[in-house]
Amino acid sequence: MAQTAAKKAGRPMSRLERKNTLIAYSFLAPNFLGFAIFTLIPVVFSVLLSFVKWNGGPISQMEWVGLDNYASIFKIEKVIEKFSEGEFFYFFERVDLGIALKNTIFYTLVTVPLTLICAIALAMALNKAVKGAVAFRTIFFFPYVASMVAICVCWNFMLMKDGPVNQFIQLLGIPFNKSWTADSTMAIWAIVLVSVWRNMGYYMVIYLAALQGVPRELYEAATVDGANKWQQFTNITIPQLQPTTFFASIMMIISCFKIFDVVAIMTEGGPGRATKMLVYYIYDVAFAQNKYGTASAISMVLLVIVLVITIIQFRSEKKFAND
Amino acid sequence: MKKMLTLVLALILALTVVGACAEKQVLTVVTWDATTTPYLVAQEAAFEAKYPDVDLQYIDVASQDYAIKVGTMLSGGDTSDVVMIKEARDIINWQAAGYAAPMTDFIAADGFDVSGYVGTEVNYAVDGVQYALPFRSDFWVLFYNKDLFDAAGVAYPTNDMTWDQYAELAKTMTKDGVYGTHYHTWLSAVANWAVCDGVNTLADREYSDLAYFYNLYQGLEDAGACMAYNELKASGLHYSAAFANGNVAMMPMGYWYVSTLIGYNKEGTCNFNWGITAVPHADGVAAGSSFGNLTGAMINEKSANKELAWKYVSWLCGEEGAAATAATGTRPAWVSENVASTMSAVEGFPTDDASKAALIPSYVGMEWPVVDKLSEIQTVVNEEHSLIMTREIDVEDGIEEMNERVAELFE
Amino acid sequence: MSEAVASKQTGRQIKKDNPALQLAGKIALYIVLTGVALFTLIPFVWMISSSLKLDREVFAYPMKWIPETFRWENYMLIWQKVPLLTYFKNTAFIAIVVTFLQTLTSSFAAYAFAKLNFKGRDVLFLAYIATIAVPWQAYMLPQFIMMRSMGLYDTLWAMVVLQAFSAFGVFLMRQFYQGVPTELCEAARIDGLSEYGIWARIMLPLSKAAIATLVIFTFVGTWNDYMGPMIYLTRDVNKTIQVGLRRFIQENSSDYHLIMAASLCSLLPVSVVFLCLQKYFIEGIATSGLKG
Repeated sequence: MAQTAAKKAGRPMSRLERKNTLIAYSFLAPNFLGFAIFTLIPVVFSVLLSFVKWNGGPISQMEWVGLDNYASIFKIEKVIEKFSEGEFFYFFERVDLGIALKNTIFYTLVTVPLTLICAIALAMALNKAVKGAVAFRTIFFFPYVASMVAICVCWNFMLMKDGPVNQFIQLLGIPFNKSWTADSTMAIWAIVLVSVWRNMGYYMVIYLAALQGVPRELYEAATVDGANKWQQFTNITIPQLQPTTFFASIMMIISCFKIFDVVAIMTEGGPGRATKMLVYYIYDVAFAQNKYGTASAISMVLLVIVLVITIIQFRSEKKFAND
Repeated sequence: MKKMLTLVLALILALTVVGACAEKQVLTVVTWDATTTPYLVAQEAAFEAKYPDVDLQYIDVASQDYAIKVGTMLSGGDTSDVVMIKEARDIINWQAAGYAAPMTDFIAADGFDVSGYVGTEVNYAVDGVQYALPFRSDFWVLFYNKDLFDAAGVAYPTNDMTWDQYAELAKTMTKDGVYGTHYHTWLSAVANWAVCDGVNTLADREYSDLAYFYNLYQGLEDAGACMAYNELKASGLHYSAAFANGNVAMMPMGYWYVSTLIGYNKEGTCNFNWGITAVPHADGVAAGSSFGNLTGAMINEKSANKELAWKYVSWLCGEEGAAATAATGTRPAWVSENVASTMSAVEGFPTDDASKAALIPSYVGMEWPVVDKLSEIQTVVNEEHSLIMTREIDVEDGIEEMNERVAELFE
Repeated sequence: MSEAVASKQTGRQIKKDNPALQLAGKIALYIVLTGVALFTLIPFVWMISSSLKLDREVFAYPMKWIPETFRWENYMLIWQKVPLLTYFKNTAFIAIVVTFLQTLTSSFAAYAFAKLNFKGRDVLFLAYIATIAVPWQAYMLPQFIMMRSMGLYDTLWAMVVLQAFSAFGVFLMRQFYQGVPTELCEAARIDGLSEYGIWARIMLPLSKAAIATLVIFTFVGTWNDYMGPMIYLTRDVNKTIQVGLRRFIQENSSDYHLIMAASLCSLLPVSVVFLCLQKYFIEGIATSGLKG
């Protein structure tokens, strides 16, 4: 494939290039074969699914419907009609997809930076051989290890009207006295809280591992130059961690966009549609309504958003690496 | 006595296994909670006793994810013979996808009598073709804690009470840490009562009939006569534990809870006396009116042995299966004169006459009717239900939203 | 080696410069860490307390932190009520095989993505990331139909092949390899090492921390996976812990006290894996390899 690509480009591949490409493919092959068969092919199939009507029955029952699935999730006609009537935000206020998008994007925008900051801070604090570091590291990683169903039940309890979290908040003088998951504005924050709590230890581990790769000589040189701790952090640590931050932020954005289990166990998308997220919506459409084509179409919306974000980050990573 | 019986049964079983090992036909049935649900255990024993040459094997699927797991299995071409139907929308989805084998021919060929279902079997029919039969039919009754009523010196609830009388009674019973009543968080526990009049359904696109029940509920919640929805939702308190705790005087709940309570009494999880009555009725609706839902069985289109599958389904959903089901305190869909007496004869069932009388409802509506876009309607109504219950919006506004959003589904 | 000693000495000198400030900073650090640790642990305290109660006590409101009577027998019950030991064995099998395959193949593939130039590299890499972005719910059904036709349905191998070649591992390892200076590889090539040699002798030893990370994540991810095993494994002999846990939630009753007890038990093996590997996260274990 690469060979034909090279020929098309008009430049014949040198023997060395060809050898290098073959070597590269030999590195890729073991993983790629499994990946292609068990993941890539079904994913490509699901892209096609978004253009058909399918209720899970025999493949012969599939019916090509073009963009109908997309039109129905966006409620195009209705949205345009309302727009011309002056209801500009109808899509985000009334349409399921719009509400799910709004909730998911809000959740992602809040959760990603919060988790990243917590993770870097914890990793920096525990990178040194402080006393009890092993214990702290393990404790912070614990939430990620625990099974979701037990954890979400716990958190629902913690966030009850007279639960420990509210008691703590009231100590701080904030008069909040309602179950978080029963309140339209707080419910999404409950999910943010649980997500940050669960994932900060996870990303802390990634950063801890990355910090091992930062050459110590850089810090020594900076110390000699008289740079203080903060300057070292911004001028050495942050740039050196860039590939990791790239990885962590992309993984986190994707996993935030795909948030499902916390919502399913803690709020079931409620109250009303206050915590209805994209994948919860997909789940409902696919498995309760048996509309697999429509569910795929919603997934494609998610895929496009994530791909755009990834490509932007990918570009900036390359630019950064070239500088 | 029981031990002897099991021993004899086991012996017969062992002998048949040795004697007829080669000829035994295997029948696979997809169901949930197979090892812990008493009626499934009883049905298996009774069926295999009658047909010793058949080996009935349950495929056990987690109850919570039954629809998604079984839907996926069937889509992948699963060849299990019989699939049990948990919710109304299961049969709608699976019939549409072509997983359910039509039963009409079997019914006609066998001369199978469907009159025992008193009309409920149409919920499993699409365009006049029967795709499944019900074997269990639960309807809602009112559970009450006799000990609490005795202690308070208040008369027990009766089989003929209006909702207003019930609300008064709940308020009377509320004191000293005792809740007069308990509502589980479901829509069905709070507002489904509107369908008991035989006119309204939850899919008729007009929801103003629910307002009375939401207001009734909010009045009770404000009076502290029941636990608050928000707390229940957050803590995830299960209704079975709520009533078993012993500080709840009344609780409307599905009939299936009877067998749970009998089990609790046996193992000592709770040890108070309890009874059941018919659920209260609205003004102008006959006493003893209730609503309920069906559990059934369909034959898998991909089954290699549909005759055997039909043999099982017709046994399970017919009179003999009903007897086996009723003996475990579960209400079968097949209603015969014997069924009620079998049910009330179950060990642990309350012995008073009112509880026995409550076994025969005057009318049972469907919790959810089988209609087009059922699943979408359920999603909308449940979402607005949660908003009303958390008081994020007024009852009136919530019902307005229900009307509007359900109408949108059909635009 | 001598450099490391030197750096330690400079470090000590700096500390000596301002002992009071150092101490204050340290105390502040410990206060913050302890606070965060408490916040992290509170739900677990509740889990432990619930696992020692009766089911109806779990949801008693207002909540009680200390059970009236400690029901240690709950920890016996979970093994009797469901075949938890079988579930543990199955989960361990899947987790170990998947972790092994995942670590091996993705560190291999990641080397190509990070350090080799070949046609179509970026496109292929984007394809890897794109598949992470598609929710499993969207392609679960086609995947299931395919797996079933391969005869993998209701076998532990289904879970192995589904999780062993995930894009996640490749992505993670690629990012770590990118941090390794390319000069190192160039130098090794000049010294006559083959690409496989570079991977085995230079990249692997340098990426111990990354491998430890991947091992932990893959192991935990597989250990805690619910949806996959729920769909693919049906017979009791094949079920995993997470699926087994849900057996305590039934249609008409739930045993949350047992769920808590069982999930605490399932926490142990994963914590052991973490404890064994966390030594790779201490500063100074990995040498940067960058000289001058």
